[in-house]
Amino acid sequence: MDLSLILEIDDLTVGATTPAAAPILDRISFRLSTSEIFGVYGESGAGKTVLSRALANWLPESLEYRAGRVAFAGHDILGTGAREVRIGRDIAYIGSKPQSSLDPTVPVGVQIAEKLHSVRPEWNGRECRDRVMQLLDEVRIPSTKERYWDYPSKFSGGMMQRAMIVDAICAEPAVLIADNVTQPLDVTIAAQIVALLHDLCTRHKMATIYLSSSLPTLGQFGDRTAVLYQGRFVEQQAFAELLASPQSDYTRKAIASVPRMWETAEGPLARRQAQGEAPLMKVENVHRTYRARKRGTFNTYSNVQAVRGVTLDIMPRENFGIVGESGCGKSTLTRLLAWLETPDSGSIVLNGTSLGALSSRDLIRKRNEFQLLLQDPYNALPPRTTVGRMIEESLLIRGSFKRADLRKRVIAAMAEVGLAAELYDQLPNALSTGERQRISIARALILDPKLLILDETLSALDQREQGRLIELFSKLQDKNDLTYVFISHDLAMVRKVCTRIAVMYLGEMVEIADNRDLFFDPQHPYTKALLSAAPTLEEKPFDASDFLLEGEPPSPIDIPAGCSFASRCPKAFGRCRVETPRLVEHSPGRLAACHLLDGDEAQAAA
Amino acid sequence: MLILEFLVKRIAQGLLIVFITSLIIFTLLRVVPGDPVRLIVGGMAPPDVVEKVATKMGLRDPIIVQYGRYMRGLLQGDLGQSYLRPRSGMIAAGGQYVDPTKSDMAPVTDLILERLPFTLQLGGMALLFALLISFPVGIAGGLHQHRWQNALAFGMQSLFVSIPNFWLAIVLILFLSVKLKLLPALGYQGFSYVILPAVVLAVEIAPFIIRTLTTSLGEVMQAPFIDEARVRGLSRRRIVYSHALRNAAVPLVNLLGIQLSTLIGGVLVIEYIFDYPGLGNLTVVSVVGRDFPVIQGIAITTSAVFVFINIIVDLVAYLIDPRVEI
Amino acid sequence: MTATTVIAAEPEPRSARVRSVNRRILAAAWGMSSFKIGFFVFIALLLASAIYPEVSSVSATKMVVKDKFLAPVYLGDKWTWDHLLGTDQLGRDMLMRSLIGLRYSLLVGIVTVLLIFIIGCGLGLFAGFKGKWWDTIIMRITDAQLSIPMIILAITILGVSRPTVPTIIIVLALSGWPLYARVARSAAVAERGKEYVRGLRVLGAGDWRILLLFAAPNILPPIAFVAVLDVARMMIFEAILGFLGLGIQPPTPSFGSIIADSRKYLLNAWWIGTIPGIFLAVALTSINLMGSALEKARNRIYGGL
Repeated sequence: MDLSLILEIDDLTVGATTPAAAPILDRISFRLSTSEIFGVYGESGAGKTVLSRALANWLPESLEYRAGRVAFAGHDILGTGAREVRIGRDIAYIGSKPQSSLDPTVPVGVQIAEKLHSVRPEWNGRECRDRVMQLLDEVRIPSTKERYWDYPSKFSGGMMQRAMIVDAICAEPAVLIADNVTQPLDVTIAAQIVALLHDLCTRHKMATIYLSSSLPTLGQFGDRTAVLYQGRFVEQQAFAELLASPQSDYTRKAIASVPRMWETAEGPLARRQAQGEAPLMKVENVHRTYRARKRGTFNTYSNVQAVRGVTLDIMPRENFGIVGESGCGKSTLTRLLAWLETPDSGSIVLNGTSLGALSSRDLIRKRNEFQLLLQDPYNALPPRTTVGRMIEESLLIRGSFKRADLRKRVIAAMAEVGLAAELYDQLPNALSTGERQRISIARALILDPKLLILDETLSALDQREQGRLIELFSKLQDKNDLTYVFISHDLAMVRKVCTRIAVMYLGEMVEIADNRDLFFDPQHPYTKALLSAAPTLEEKPFDASDFLLEGEPPSPIDIPAGCSFASRCPKAFGRCRVETPRLVEHSPGRLAACHLLDGDEAQAAA
Repeated sequence: MLILEFLVKRIAQGLLIVFITSLIIFTLLRVVPGDPVRLIVGGMAPPDVVEKVATKMGLRDPIIVQYGRYMRGLLQGDLGQSYLRPRSGMIAAGGQYVDPTKSDMAPVTDLILERLPFTLQLGGMALLFALLISFPVGIAGGLHQHRWQNALAFGMQSLFVSIPNFWLAIVLILFLSVKLKLLPALGYQGFSYVILPAVVLAVEIAPFIIRTLTTSLGEVMQAPFIDEARVRGLSRRRIVYSHALRNAAVPLVNLLGIQLSTLIGGVLVIEYIFDYPGLGNLTVVSVVGRDFPVIQGIAITTSAVFVFINIIVDLVAYLIDPRVEI
Repeated sequence: MTATTVIAAEPEPRSARVRSVNRRILAAAWGMSSFKIGFFVFIALLLASAIYPEVSSVSATKMVVKDKFLAPVYLGDKWTWDHLLGTDQLGRDMLMRSLIGLRYSLLVGIVTVLLIFIIGCGLGLFAGFKGKWWDTIIMRITDAQLSIPMIILAITILGVSRPTVPTIIIVLALSGWPLYARVARSAAVAERGKEYVRGLRVLGAGDWRILLLFAAPNILPPIAFVAVLDVARMMIFEAILGFLGLGIQPPTPSFGSIIADSRKYLLNAWWIGTIPGIFLAVALTSINLMGSALEKARNRIYGGL
């Protein structure tokens, strides 16, 4: 390994152009040798992005260098050496927003080749194109020749991030800055990108600065890691030592705040179904297909199968979790459960009444019993409406009330969710995410519902606020006999609150089991993959590298025959590509749809 | 294939639009007061003569019948014949009775086809001038949002938008043509007659282009991909000219499609003032003379031109930005 | 003591953040000097045209042949203090004629834009929120209407019938609504897809309730800000109609007809055409300054520019 010094940072200080403001980066210093991978941990707001921009001489207009030196192979890029070092060729950057990194009106390949040609004018257009094609292939983008000419909007987030990696490394940079590159991606895709990047950095001998807000992700690189806090490096040491003996309180806290799923075998207790107890909500074989116009054809449509035959029983007073990655159909399922959309076939029965059979007038009344809390508390509330008015709306839809009476009921509901009565006449503009979420809860609660559906309700909140809301939910559950359905991609949250969990993939449930069973003994390969990719610092109860998935889920327009997971499943065999497995109860309370399990049973029986 | 589908669909839609247009204009002409026959036969003619001519011309049939007759002609490419203009091209003097049912009246199609090239020439030149004025100003204003270039674009746009076109036309005729004798103004005897009316029209259109260009370019320059292009190693020239402008062009192209009717409306007034022998002039004269077939013909032609240009505009927008739904 | 000051100081920043988008747009526009100039000039013109003709004894239509072709004060060989801005070819006072012209111009401009706004936004909101067939039908009519240049439509109707102030307003409004319908429709479609609409649907609110109580107050103000610009456009159209002889009929003065008549005298009596032109241009500039400032403020607040 070549260990010559490539990047020297001395006392780098960056701040706003207004001199009074405190610096955003404060005396940052470090050294980087060729082929070295340097991790930087910092939560959002710590100055990671400013640091990554400062290293590439790419500060936004509102910021300036106040002091310090950034030297690339001995040339000071902020001063005299700026001519020698070319950003984009010698120092490359990959950001956290792949989808908006390229011009949407020009094909991806063309733009990468354009960049390559402008930083390496000595290579002609043909050479640039061939090199880009070859690299696209190397980062495992399928059918490179066609993808080269596709526009950015045709790329999924994961594919686009691969393309941006090609864009960064194509000019053979000596230093690569990767700023939170996996942040917008799903866990299984993020795991792939991390592995790919690690592999490329070593193979192309690039010194890499990897900035991330996730300690587990940094752990996958395992090298020297710095902790950035309020613009300063509070410590710098190898990752293993960092975990074992953190030098600062801040690091200790950061390590402690990484969610743990397997720490204790305990978990929310499963509420066993009592003999003869009727489910609160019965979802039976629900399908939902959207018609999307096929471009370039006359009046032909392709069918996007968003939800394909979901069957669930939600028991009274349980916390039911539905997990899955983006595109798996959970948003559609949410809309179906909240009856914002009606299923194409199948039925949803709530407390003995089929929702499809209700007249619109009865439906409004029935809606009291089941309410949905939307994901984004900033957009879910009507603008320019006072807090009190928003909560009243639930009641006003159903008839008129006396002013004073109305106010009394609203304030009672506000008190129940922990909102101060003074907020009644205020606009929610100045409220925090958590407070806004409480408004949503109050708005639903005033109707006295039996079932609350929570669509990613907790994922926009920080750990502390999340904890408080979870507490509130459990208090309300005890008091009002509530049943919750949590729909989320956040495995750690689900592990903390849900009693029973369903895993969704490509519009179907692949596994349903009690919390403990699902996390400690997952049955379905997809569940295993999902858990393996989950970013935690713990020892997992199974070998994660066994379940690193290849590729991306098939499009819901062309779902292959057989098991829909077969194209990515490391354990798929002949039968999987022909016959679709059914969701069956292999042992009491544990359902999974996988042919491998049949095999076990067959073996066991033999 | 995609483009073919688009064309088929849009042309079908366009035909529908032209059809509705013809229906609106046809009905309007017949329900608002004002009898063309009175003008044709002259103020002195006795009422029974008026009635006789009107019946003979079919103007006393129910509107739906008249419209059916008109549509039948239209499908064969026949827009009818002018009430007032004989084939020779001379306007019948007021009161002089020319029998409009005879076949010596000029066909509307010929009248329009004769004038259309002049109007297209004027419109084209005006657009060219407008683009020449507004591109430098608009681009500079968009790139430097907080500097004098933006103030210049803002001031120029506010000034231009506030000058009534006919007033500017009169002033320019007075100074450039009558006093300084730099450019000819009235009538048409060669290309130089286009310049002055085109300049007036350009001043009318330019503020819209400047405004759209400054706003959309300003917005594009804030886009993350423009910011990131810098760290990817592209030069500022490249970023601005091959990426920012390309993206800012989409709203501009759409604007041109919508502002087309302003352009056509402007053409009409300008032609009248400059006595320019185009469609606009013909419209004003025909409206004053209640020459229904000519008015209808012009309305149908302009709406067809409008539809056609808007199809092209959408196609261009799609070719620039593949995300545009077509 | 300290505790009370803290509490008293607290609401300040909060109320600053609470200000609604529309208030912020207005405040941002008010912060631009161009808006303030436009606003004060506009108010001055508005008051002058409303009050002066009522209190002055000078007539706008009385012809005094001996006073014809008087120049504005100090600006020609022949002028008097009785006619500050001179007289026209028939000896009528130019100041009074211009102010009456301005009065009609403003009346037509403002009322027309109000009508356009109501018709266009009403239809657009309805089409956008209702969707399906309603949407298709309304939007196709809009397209057809848009494809006939409004001036052709206006002169056709006015040329064939007799122009009066109400007909002029109706005709201009009829030909101007489609753009508003388009804008309002696309805003309504965008609004319909928003999260808070879903939130209200979950509570059980119906389409109309959401549209009227929650969506419209969001959609309309931004459109209204830009509608200010159209007041100027409509005033120009009114003048064009007058110029073509299809506007307000003589003897009532209007900018268009005065300028059209003045063409013959431009070389010897330049003021007859110039003074109403200046009045019109100043009025238009003041409105455009306000309108563009509002538009700019809106783009800044929405687009972060």
